[in-house]
Amino acid sequence: MAGKSGRTIANTIDKPWKKVILSWEGVLVLLFIAINILCIAISPVYNATNLLRESPKYLAEMLLLFPMAYLLLLGEIDISVGSIVCLAATMACMASNAGVPFFGVVCIAIITGLACGAFNGFITIKFRELPTMIITLGTQIVFRGIAEIALGSGGSISLTDSSGFKLLNGKIGIFPYSFFLIIICAIVFTVIADRRNYGRKLYAIGSNAKTAFYSGIKVKQTILIAFIVIGVFAGLSGLFLTSTAYGANTTTGKNFEMDAIAMAVFGGVSNMGGKGKLYGAFVSAFTIMCLRIGLGQINVNSQVILIILGLLLICAVLLPNIAGMISAKKRTAK
Amino acid sequence: MENKSLLKKLTASREVSLLIVLVVLCALISIKTPTFLGWSNVSEILKNNSTTMIMALGMLLVLLIGGIDISIGSTLALSGMTIGILYKYNHMSSTFLGFLLATVIGIACGAIIGVIISYGKVSPIICTLGTMYVYRGFAYLVANDEWAGADALGTFKDFALKSFLGINSAVWITIICYVIFFIMMKWTKFGRNIYAVGSNEEAAEISGINVKLVKTLVYTIMGGLSGLTGAVMTCVYASAQPNMATGKEMDVIAACVIGGVSMTGGRGSVGGALIGALILSVISKALPLVGIDALAQNTVKGVIIIAVIILNVVTQRMMDKAALEKREM
Repeated sequence: MAGKSGRTIANTIDKPWKKVILSWEGVLVLLFIAINILCIAISPVYNATNLLRESPKYLAEMLLLFPMAYLLLLGEIDISVGSIVCLAATMACMASNAGVPFFGVVCIAIITGLACGAFNGFITIKFRELPTMIITLGTQIVFRGIAEIALGSGGSISLTDSSGFKLLNGKIGIFPYSFFLIIICAIVFTVIADRRNYGRKLYAIGSNAKTAFYSGIKVKQTILIAFIVIGVFAGLSGLFLTSTAYGANTTTGKNFEMDAIAMAVFGGVSNMGGKGKLYGAFVSAFTIMCLRIGLGQINVNSQVILIILGLLLICAVLLPNIAGMISAKKRTAK
Repeated sequence: MENKSLLKKLTASREVSLLIVLVVLCALISIKTPTFLGWSNVSEILKNNSTTMIMALGMLLVLLIGGIDISIGSTLALSGMTIGILYKYNHMSSTFLGFLLATVIGIACGAIIGVIISYGKVSPIICTLGTMYVYRGFAYLVANDEWAGADALGTFKDFALKSFLGINSAVWITIICYVIFFIMMKWTKFGRNIYAVGSNEEAAEISGINVKLVKTLVYTIMGGLSGLTGAVMTCVYASAQPNMATGKEMDVIAACVIGGVSMTGGRGSVGGALIGALILSVISKALPLVGIDALAQNTVKGVIIIAVIILNVVTQRMMDKAALEKREM
């Protein structure tokens, strides 16, 4: 439960509001084009090849976006994913160094993620009074803590044999494998959210969990699955991150949860649940990635990029709200 | 009703049961290390954790109205860094002015958050996620690839070394804050309004409370306290860096939650926040003393947080059940 969301359901369909929300994805596409034009204008080396060369780190982060969007649609949140990424990456590195074949390494990373996600989900459905924010705050510390213990006093581990991970880091033409994985994920997650039974359950629970429960939806099961999915994807993200960094340390995956949430919310997914489209999140993720890489190429301080991202995030939520309030005022004036 | 047993009375109040946990914890540790409860050690713990303790007060208010603020670490860094740089380049030398300026910067940061949340209707976690990035970015810009060390801070850092009536001045600031907030939350109209807004926003609105104003003020107070803490942290640790207090918000939220403050609003007290912060500081100080490896500290801390929140829920369920049984009779 999102706690006291303060959301009220209007009897009549709020047309101007709906228009703003419906067009948000359109605005994002325009913004995406605008930012690309801007980046080409300011940076002489901004082209597809360079963009894709720098992308794997961001693509690994994007793997978390779609499951995070599912959780946000449910009105839940998971701030422990960054720590799960760290733990999975650590486990994968240790397994690989211990001589486990690469397939086994992949399994270990995914199982680690799955176990962590299942743990989060289990506590969430057993203690529904607790906001998931605080549960995952606790597990965030625990998961990274376990990774810290495993890494020992050095705090980092590097791969002795990176041949398996090199496979993951491969490319088809100029496109890294993870790029295709993201595209496939985007399609699958969007289809499930919009067309399949499970996706409609997500929206129903996010809009009103009680109503959903009384109309026969297995609320707890749905939430548990969402947590397990995000755990598995955090494991995958850890694998891809390891394949770009050839190792793991205690800060691996730090702030991934915040970036994933920011991308989803910027894409129009409401953190109150039940509102938002996945393709919006997809476009917003690529917009943010292009902006980061483009500004990074002309040596803009990474902290300035942080400020821009923060302002964009706030404006993305604030502006539609203000537009809605103005149109509501106009209606009452009539 | 009157012949309630003493034990029942004790366990009925969450603060008292938490206090028992704290006392037992301290007792167990001092069996292992008798010097743990010595004055110098206690004073050291209080001084080093005054940052968490002061901010827990602001977070208490924010959680009471059902909000959350994850940008406090960034606000702290921005204000601490600003005064650090001012001292470094001798634009300022007065200690009092440093504290005042840090608090004012914090208040400005908090007021912006408050206005966006209450008048712009942006959900607290998203707004403060954004401002977390923005303020941290500004802290780096202010620092401009520099940091203020002990030599740069001059007389300012001496403040944390001074003591008054045998108590460190940083601890005095904490005590004064707690006294003010205790009185405010218990006996002033504003304090009671906060509880009213947190328990039921619509009811509060209908009974004539300016909910938006209360919310804005709460975030402003949170910002002001974070700013003040920025100054305290700068002088306690005698350094100001743009990445200071990264992740501090999670410690502060954890302290409040351990202290029995509900994250859905309306439930919690100043005493609870204090005890929560104390439990957390005692744990982090005591783990190395009882022989737990420094590497395992975070894990233990996280497990304790999860255990305490689950325990809170279980006792609440039992209390609700008992109350229901009473009504049926």
